[in-house]
Amino acid sequence: MASNEYSLEVEGLGKSYRMYQSPFRRITEVLTRGKIKGHQEFTALNDVNFKMRPGTSLGLCGANGAGKSTLLKVLAGTTAPSAGRYRMSGRVASLLELGAGFHLDFTGRANIYMNGIMMGYSRREMESKIDEIVDFAELGPYIDEPVRTYSSGMGLRLGFSVAVAVDPDILIIDEVFAVGDMYFQKKCVDRIYDFKRRGKTILFCSHSLYDIRQMCDEAIWLKNGNVAAIGNSVHTTNEYTSFQRDHIGTEGQSLSDEYPDLPSGATSGKKLPRIVDARMYRIGTDDEAYEIHPGDSIELRVWWENPDPKETPINIGVGMLRQDMTTCSGMGTHLDNVTVEGTQGCTVLQIPDVRLLAGQFLIPVLLMDGEGVHKYQEFLMPENLVVRNETKELGLFRMNHVWEHRHELPVPTPKPKDAS
Amino acid sequence: MKLTSKAPVETAGVESGSSWVTSQAPRAVEIVKRVFGFPKMLVKHRDLITSSVKRELATRFQGTLLGFMWPLVHPLFIFAVYYFIFTKLLSFKMPNLQPGQESAMGVYMFIGVVVWAAFGESLGRGCNIIVENGNLIKKLAFPSETLPLNIVLVNIVTMMFGVAMFLLGTLATSVWAAPGIELVWIPVLILLQALFTYGLVLILATMQVFLRDTVQVVSIAVTVWMFLTPLFWVPEAIPQIAQYQGFIEANPMNHLVYAWREVLMGVQGVLGEVLNYTNYEAIPDHNGKLLEEINRLISEGMTVEAARASVGPDLVPLQMTHDLIDSVRIFTYWAVGMFVIGFSFFGLAQRRFADEV
Repeated sequence: MASNEYSLEVEGLGKSYRMYQSPFRRITEVLTRGKIKGHQEFTALNDVNFKMRPGTSLGLCGANGAGKSTLLKVLAGTTAPSAGRYRMSGRVASLLELGAGFHLDFTGRANIYMNGIMMGYSRREMESKIDEIVDFAELGPYIDEPVRTYSSGMGLRLGFSVAVAVDPDILIIDEVFAVGDMYFQKKCVDRIYDFKRRGKTILFCSHSLYDIRQMCDEAIWLKNGNVAAIGNSVHTTNEYTSFQRDHIGTEGQSLSDEYPDLPSGATSGKKLPRIVDARMYRIGTDDEAYEIHPGDSIELRVWWENPDPKETPINIGVGMLRQDMTTCSGMGTHLDNVTVEGTQGCTVLQIPDVRLLAGQFLIPVLLMDGEGVHKYQEFLMPENLVVRNETKELGLFRMNHVWEHRHELPVPTPKPKDAS
Repeated sequence: MKLTSKAPVETAGVESGSSWVTSQAPRAVEIVKRVFGFPKMLVKHRDLITSSVKRELATRFQGTLLGFMWPLVHPLFIFAVYYFIFTKLLSFKMPNLQPGQESAMGVYMFIGVVVWAAFGESLGRGCNIIVENGNLIKKLAFPSETLPLNIVLVNIVTMMFGVAMFLLGTLATSVWAAPGIELVWIPVLILLQALFTYGLVLILATMQVFLRDTVQVVSIAVTVWMFLTPLFWVPEAIPQIAQYQGFIEANPMNHLVYAWREVLMGVQGVLGEVLNYTNYEAIPDHNGKLLEEINRLISEGMTVEAARASVGPDLVPLQMTHDLIDSVRIFTYWAVGMFVIGFSFFGLAQRRFADEV
């Protein structure tokens, strides 16, 4: 198996599209055998190189139009590369769009069959998997209703369930993690982790940098079709965010990317509040610290700008998420009735005595509107918070607790049940 | 690295093996391999093809009142309209019908309509099939050559409803004598018709991806082609036909439709008899007078040969291919050729579909 040391090898991969302004130009080009050029070349992807071993995962980040989806499309086999080559070993399942190929008039169950078969699995395989898929989707009796009657979230559940239930060696996913409610998201993430543990290769792109940090060992930052950075996922995403920080406002593209909840274009002309930077320090000092022990005290400093505070009042939120997406804590100025006023400033969140026990935690900093509902921006700390235990305590966090002995207390006699 | 020791994979996944996928366009050798690998492809994706065809059939009729009756209703109505126009208004008829064969013209037209409906519908729908499923092609890696195939197969299935209706009609009523042993040709005809239609649809669907005018041209061309194919008229009954003989013979659909008619009507040898008889009626100087004269002589009780001889040596018999084996042979060339060309053409362009749709 020496030749199959890698499950995915990509060499000098490139993709360019030909764009014809009118059908006449195409005809002219064909008739003159290319002597009269009728097209303009648009390079979506240029010279991408990487290798993946089984059991690893790679995340793609970058602005809209940077080539993330193009790369995934090429590797998923829906479009051919125009330069370079790639090689995969094993079964590939790709999830470029949830519910692609669903037929609305058919039941969820019928669509599961059809979708699986389209992905290259036999009817027999699908029959053996169907119960598992139905269980995973948790659509209850709706599974036998036409997909037309589904809510969009239910459709997404169905799509995701099919894609992960079949057992691929390589899984290619395009920006489809934010499926359904929190409960289902957690389930999906668990499933992906399970894939990793079983030695599968995962390749996915996301605008959510903590998805990438959480789930990927390595990451690629694509910029205008070129690889701008490749390597450890935390470092790569950091490079990407710091680039964005420096270029915000000068490049419309990255701006809309930084505000993922806004349609691109909405940011132009309108000055929106933003987070300039956010860092974590040992409390009361200027020592940046991301590795702490339970019981340490830290403070978070958030520098922000709000050009038009009357129009866009803001609130600041800070979350703590464990790697498996469990939200350990969520704090917000609006929850504590603190107002954030002014056009710019630095807001400090002090956390004396961090009770978290060992683990890695993502610290997203959120910039929200006056009511704390709409999210203007999600800002990632440059590094994850790493808590190291010195004791053998178990669990997520340390509760305030006291042990004592009161041997004189008698065993309680069971209360007679209410005979109602 | 630890290798998981799972049960062996039953069938190959979407893409398996570890060969390089490159930017090179497929070479001639690969195309030839693909053409020869077509049966293998069918076997590999049989589940996909059968369930797509089933689904397509189900979608067509799901929620409709008549359901699976519709594929029968449609050709019946088309047939009824054309039958009325051509035989009642325009008085087209078979040249020489024996007593008891009066319904020959109707049967002749019905078979033509049913066969053409499957062919024409496949071209019309199939032309757009790749563009229509653009999103699927962009988002899901699957063999897109199955899409046109589904259309062709669905139409073959609906055509078989019409054929079945014809056979039931001949058994249940006295419209026409039920065909016999000739029916063994049906699988052959279906295979050839499917191959020919598939090849043509592959070409058209590919062209439509790159040039969206194709579908417009096709809808006109199919109509024109329909009238040029002897569906509603009998070439041998038209005096001026000899000068167009080459043209009619060059139309592959002429051979297909003839073969179907021979298989479904031919139990009494009626078709060959009627048509071969009229071979002699086609006259190159197309003034029609000689034809009238022959018909008059025949109606006076003279035999065909005698009537022809008495009219004179100017008669050049129209030598159409009127033999089941010959028609099948000629159509086989067409079907295989069209399939090979269509499949290669499609195979060359396939990798660019996702970028163009």
